[in-house]
Amino acid sequence: MTTTNTHDPSSFDRIRDAVIGQSNSRRALLLMAPLIAFELLVFVIPFFILLRISVASGSADLPYESGTWSLDAYSSVIENILSFDLFWSILVYSFVLGGAVTIVTVGIALFYAYAIWRSNGLVKSLLLFSVILPLLTTLVIRTYAFTPLLSPTGTVNDILLSLNLVSEPIQFVPGIVGAGIGQLYIVLPYAVLAIYSVMATIDWDIVEAARDLGASRPRSVVEVVVPQVMPGVIVATVISFAWSVGSYAAPGLLSENLTFAIYIETLLLTDQRYPVAAAFSVIMLVLMLISTGVLFAILNRFGGDFDLA
Amino acid sequence: MTSTLHRETVENRVFRASYLALLVFMLLPLFVVVVTSFSQAGRLAFPPESYSLAWYGEFFESTRWLRAFTNSILIGVGTALLASFLGVTGAFGQELDTDDSLGAILQPLVLIPLLIPPVVLGITLLMYFSEVGLRGSYASIILAHTLWATPLVYFVMRSVFSRFDWQQLDAAHDLGAGPVRSFVHVVLPNVKHGILVGALLAFIISLQEFVMALFLSTPSTTTIPVLAWTQIRQALDPMVSVVSTFLILISLGAIVIAAIATNLEWLSKQLS
Repeated sequence: MTTTNTHDPSSFDRIRDAVIGQSNSRRALLLMAPLIAFELLVFVIPFFILLRISVASGSADLPYESGTWSLDAYSSVIENILSFDLFWSILVYSFVLGGAVTIVTVGIALFYAYAIWRSNGLVKSLLLFSVILPLLTTLVIRTYAFTPLLSPTGTVNDILLSLNLVSEPIQFVPGIVGAGIGQLYIVLPYAVLAIYSVMATIDWDIVEAARDLGASRPRSVVEVVVPQVMPGVIVATVISFAWSVGSYAAPGLLSENLTFAIYIETLLLTDQRYPVAAAFSVIMLVLMLISTGVLFAILNRFGGDFDLA
Repeated sequence: MTSTLHRETVENRVFRASYLALLVFMLLPLFVVVVTSFSQAGRLAFPPESYSLAWYGEFFESTRWLRAFTNSILIGVGTALLASFLGVTGAFGQELDTDDSLGAILQPLVLIPLLIPPVVLGITLLMYFSEVGLRGSYASIILAHTLWATPLVYFVMRSVFSRFDWQQLDAAHDLGAGPVRSFVHVVLPNVKHGILVGALLAFIISLQEFVMALFLSTPSTTTIPVLAWTQIRQALDPMVSVVSTFLILISLGAIVIAAIATNLEWLSKQLS
């Protein structure tokens, strides 16, 4: 430090920058190392083991035969799917439930995020609170609460019957309607927050401008707000879709149909057929990845078109 | 003009009625759970026919539930500590990093586990932990929960660090403080609220996580949500409502603490 004066300042600065820069990036590496090691050990390597087990052959008394290579698990799953058998119906049910829940969720989430954005004071806090509290409550409770509400002897049917709107109870639970409502309730908070966090950055004045130029209020929202929140909508769609296709708790408790997640549990824990469970997981992940990619492309284009208009 | 005004009032009313209906939809299930926990009968019905604290008494006498409660707290604290350590060091390291090559891989790598269905993660980790001999341990559940909690802590910390004035750290270095001392005295006081919120979120996520715990827990390491799940599949009695009420209260407490440390609006942005 005291020798600074005797050196040419520019070259000293360069050396100092280089030294600090290097020690900084080494320190940065050191700081990031635990997180990287963790992700490798608890996420990347386990996935390679899943892939490895999916290409091992099954065994009569063990979950799988280690050290063997075979594509039996894949061929049995794919054959089953192509002959429209059990795996096919599970696959279709999972995707139909996931797709329907995603569409309804994103629609409601857009509206609710808009309501939060436009409100203020106590109402705004209450609306935000109503999103955060369910988000931080376990799925089990979130789905369980719908049983006394939606069952044939439940609260909703009691109200409908006493109002003479229906002559006999509607069976929401067990059924796909119950499973859909339960799953909607699980993913809605995430979707609302994903859209709201983008919406909060929009300048309200541009909506005012659209209205001054003669756009009706619903139209100004659809044509000005929606395109701007597309990044949030995309995140909400991807999250809702991935979690709803892979849903376990809501269909498990509120319906009697098998989703892929429920069936995988049976394959793994009851039937002990590890390679088949692994292969089915890999196939479902690939299908989900492809459909998410397609959704992403569609939404991106949709957002882009609106920007040009 | 009057017709426009009339239409606007109708629109306003419809708009308000719709979001209030949604507000009810969001809070009703939790309300149902809390109310049914005070029911006297053994059958779950809403609204209950008569009220009592009977099921609360049952809870405090049940060793099974108390055991699960201890397990949940233990795993939650472990997850909060591990996820906070990983998230804070990771985000801090990325902030110091001059060339962003490693950070470009780190960010998606941390995020991807959140987009994989928990059942797939559950079976993947079950197979893996059986291979390495961790199956059935507390550590296996803590590691699985950390996989979900770390992204949240990491993104909270990224956002906190991005608002920190890094020239203060340079100033501390110029004044001769070492890396550890400058972190403790200069950076930490400015980001401690963020770390607290991150750790709380990690704790809550672990406390509430269910699917991975279902696959990874054994009878001795069962957590509250897993025990609740097995219970409701056997019989629908108000015991699960009692337990759920406790879990809702804990989440409520965490939200209040987090909201005091920061504010609700900021918190909701971090959660997305």
